[in-house]
Amino acid sequence: MSGRALVLAGHGSHYSGSSSAPVHAHADRIRSLGGWEEVRVAFWKEEPQLSRALDGLAADDVTVVPIFISSGYFVQEVIPREMGLDGRMTRQDGRTIRYTAPIGAHTALARVVVQRAREAGAGPGDALAVLGHGTPRNPDSERNVYARTADVAAIGGFAEVTTVFLDQEPNMRDVFARTAAETVVLVPLFIADGWHVGETIPEDLALDGPETRRGGRRLRYAGAAGTHPAMVDVISELAAEAAAW
Amino acid sequence: MNGELDFVTELGQLTVHITGEGIDVFGPASSPASPEVPPTREALRELARTDPLGRYRPLSGARTLPGNWRAHFADLESFTAAVGEVYPLAFEHNAQWETGELRVVGLEAVLARHSGRYGGAKELDADGRELARRVLCARCVRVPVWAAPAAAKLPPGGIACPEPCSVMVALCREAAIWQKERPARAQPDAAVAFAAFAEPGNEVREAYLRARYPEQDG
Repeated sequence: MSGRALVLAGHGSHYSGSSSAPVHAHADRIRSLGGWEEVRVAFWKEEPQLSRALDGLAADDVTVVPIFISSGYFVQEVIPREMGLDGRMTRQDGRTIRYTAPIGAHTALARVVVQRAREAGAGPGDALAVLGHGTPRNPDSERNVYARTADVAAIGGFAEVTTVFLDQEPNMRDVFARTAAETVVLVPLFIADGWHVGETIPEDLALDGPETRRGGRRLRYAGAAGTHPAMVDVISELAAEAAAW
Repeated sequence: MNGELDFVTELGQLTVHITGEGIDVFGPASSPASPEVPPTREALRELARTDPLGRYRPLSGARTLPGNWRAHFADLESFTAAVGEVYPLAFEHNAQWETGELRVVGLEAVLARHSGRYGGAKELDADGRELARRVLCARCVRVPVWAAPAAAKLPPGGIACPEPCSVMVALCREAAIWQKERPARAQPDAAVAFAAFAEPGNEVREAYLRARYPEQDG
């Protein structure tokens, strides 16, 4: 065995290809950039399965990057269990396996959120609302969303920056109440343009499309941050940091 | 490529023709006259994503690959990369099976490591587990060597499956629920998603219920 391999570990879905599509797209881009002997994807709910992600891999130095926003259950329990990892560095069958934090935990993700907002038309006088999933069942779920919102605010360029959630308070339905700017750009901090970003959020907010007007104000709805081509930079930074361990 | 090469083999639902000119891959019910798709990972991944009715295919080995297409590959590397998108890890697992190096994990071990939403799958009894394997694996080109590790040879075109997949775990979870509270049966409905086992009309669900609880036929 020799060489370096990168494994992008995602959730996947039994019901829709949109869940894994961005993970495949990021892997394709990274392959085209070169620098790795092999780039693989692996999923909890699709094939190749996480538990088989290393099968037949020639590399002896493998970096696994979780394509998740939250540092919760899947990152802390499912991926390590399925791949036999025992920490951020695992020696297994003659290989070194480096297990990074999820993309949602890296500050570089804030730059992608800003790009998404600008592509949706956000300007200096507008408010940017970072939309996370959140859940009252797991306090860890919100941590990375708040941290990335703080990073976005630090980058600057917007009149206001705030956080809202799909499934906890402060709820996305209150996005106008939480901001004062005439135009609010809502950037979903999600991995895929799947069920939530494509269906439940537009339905719950009664969106008219990319732009919705309500009471003299405007809500612009951006695509999921996780589908942006610049996510490759976040993955590459995580992998580069892991290479120095 | 070697100019004297000329042979045909199978992999799952694919027919592979290797010649000195390269490698031609044909989908089900396809011929040299079928439309050609680009010989890339992206093209074959997209092609394999949905069945002929446009339904998402969560099980890569499901016998539902769209037909009437072909792809020409100039070299082995691009062929294995692209076909690996149709049947992930098929080449790796078959090679390891041939050399006896394939790590095989059975259903008991897979169910035992699940918790939370899928933890209930381990409640499914032995008859239910065997039936779940028969019903689901019959719809898949992969050969469940995890169920019969002693089987030494794969059938032509067979792909070694070393471990129950997440779709199998999901079916076991639903079947464990049905074991406690038997649901009414429904007519199979092709419009229901392949892995929507909780939904009446799902083809796998109805096949399982028909075989497990035949008395309802009376």
